Amino acid sequence: MTLAELAARIGARVYTPGGGAAVDVGRVWAGDRISDLLNEAVDNVLLVSNLASTHLIRVAELMDVPGICLVAGREPDADMLSAARAHGTLLMSSPYGLFETCGRLYQCLSAEAPTVR
Amino acid sequence: MTTVVYQIEGGDFEHGGEASRRLKEQLKRLGADPAVVRRAMIAAYEAEMNVVIHAERGELRASLQNGQLDIEVSDTGPGIPDIAAALREGFSTASARARELGFGAGMGLPNIRRNSDEFAIESTVGQGTRVRFSIRLRPQTLYGTGRHGLTIEADHCRRALRCVHACPTHAVRVLGRRPEILDYLCIDCTACIAVCPTGTLTTRGTRATLPVGEEAVVVVPAALLVQFGSGIAPAQVRAALAALLGGGAAADARVWVLEAWEAALRAGVRRYAETAAALPVISPACPAVVNLIETRYPALIPHVAPLAPAVDAVRAALAGQRAVFVVTCPSQRTALLGDAAAGPPPVDVLLPAAVQAALAPHLHADSGQLAVSATAPPPPDADLLRVTGLPHVLHLFDEIEGRRVRDVRVVEPWACAEGCFGSPLLREEPCLARHRWETAPLPADGAARAVPRGRPLAPRPGLRLDTDMGKAIQKLARIDTLRRELPGADCGECGAPTCAALAEDIVLGRAAAGACVRQRSQEKAP
Repeated sequence: MTLAELAARIGARVYTPGGGAAVDVGRVWAGDRISDLLNEAVDNVLLVSNLASTHLIRVAELMDVPGICLVAGREPDADMLSAARAHGTLLMSSPYGLFETCGRLYQCLSAEAPTVR
Repeated sequence: MTTVVYQIEGGDFEHGGEASRRLKEQLKRLGADPAVVRRAMIAAYEAEMNVVIHAERGELRASLQNGQLDIEVSDTGPGIPDIAAALREGFSTASARARELGFGAGMGLPNIRRNSDEFAIESTVGQGTRVRFSIRLRPQTLYGTGRHGLTIEADHCRRALRCVHACPTHAVRVLGRRPEILDYLCIDCTACIAVCPTGTLTTRGTRATLPVGEEAVVVVPAALLVQFGSGIAPAQVRAALAALLGGGAAADARVWVLEAWEAALRAGVRRYAETAAALPVISPACPAVVNLIETRYPALIPHVAPLAPAVDAVRAALAGQRAVFVVTCPSQRTALLGDAAAGPPPVDVLLPAAVQAALAPHLHADSGQLAVSATAPPPPDADLLRVTGLPHVLHLFDEIEGRRVRDVRVVEPWACAEGCFGSPLLREEPCLARHRWETAPLPADGAARAVPRGRPLAPRPGLRLDTDMGKAIQKLARIDTLRRELPGADCGECGAPTCAALAEDIVLGRAAAGACVRQRSQEKAP
């Protein structure tokens, strides 16, 4: 499932579409520690985090991460928005908390899993 | 040996990570293995943020030599009283502010150690800390693994230099008396063949005549069957070919028309597009275009349907029979002959000119009227965008890469104008040739089918300036300097397509230092 589809399915608001909208999401990783996110960052991961800071975009930039999802309706500030725009990261924000956002993402991706291409 | 040094300001969270970002750019420019870049970035970013979080100021120093990336991050700051404790996962002395931002998990140093091949740390309380780590590089081969089916008849070259400008990937140089092809850039299309006025750039068959009296299948492109003038339909040409091969039902069954397999591939691509994730789906019909994607548009690789070009499908259907393929471009030749590991069946390639010469005496324009098909023409391919000719293909790929093509499900790109009908190895006007085929096509062959691609597509490794990354950095710097000194007119008179390409050629020893024609004439002027 592409990042853009995932965003629509879980009802997240997309702030910057970036270049990653059509990336097929291979996995989702949620966390609030930069070190953890850094270790799990690959080029088809969607990172989910409470951290609404430019460092999240920096991680995306260094590790070629296509998309980032903030939670609990958190709005990115101007710095984060301009960083995401500059680097072409898809930045979205889910209205649900970390737990529920992950649950919804899991449902979307596991429903898709049997049709392996 | 070359070293890059980046300054890091303690407490400057806003710019934290900037040094790592710049290091990443350098590594990518040098063509470092993505896996190495990944490990380097995790370690470098952790080390850089340690300076931002804990120290007053510091620097990140990176050098590449002997196949190894050495990074040293040193700072002036409080130092670490208990290094053993600091290396334990979860141990942290970071400020509340840093923790708020997601740092201070006590994973920084362990992360650096895990992602490097050598690791050392020393610290003096009240003075500062120095972390050194190394990552071994796995540089790819110097010139990649490109191969092509072009032939250079060097004696014919008059340095018209049209090839230099025509090549879509800047793979041609005429630095001396004869053209050279840079294998790692060549996509095996026909752009240089089409513009060469002297026949210097061409391709060769593995045999010169039709297999008359031999037990061999002859595979012909539709384009070959429409090369004999306005009065002669494809069916007549096919019949004449069968007669030449010996006549009778056996010979007739040995003439296969490639178009049937192309139609089967088209159907297969359409089926794939119904469930494909990355739209538009790009048909792998033209091997040269597939090479182009691997070389210049790696981002489009997920868009390419996982099927093989038609010649591969025919090869699979031969089931041990010998075959002679009449090819219309070097990329078909490479697709058929290039894979030495594939083994039998033995396949020969023959150029269209040989077949045309053999058939011409048997086909006369006044021998009949063009038999326009009585059946209704097939429905237009409304769901399929056929784009032909490299300038248009390049432009469309730019559009797809920029995600500006959302209203197309399937793209069928061809390097030559009107697909294989526009091969420079054929004479007839491409649009006319296609029209002749479409108004009198041969019935489809029921045996034709699409087959899966044997080899997964992968970005083609570009130029490696040097297998030693330290030397590669030096060369890169020299290329940059040289490029600024050249006029930037991209006139191509030297035999390289652009001034940037010439700078690279000079540093790599392909061209002489004084190769620029304009620089020479300026020096002579008073």
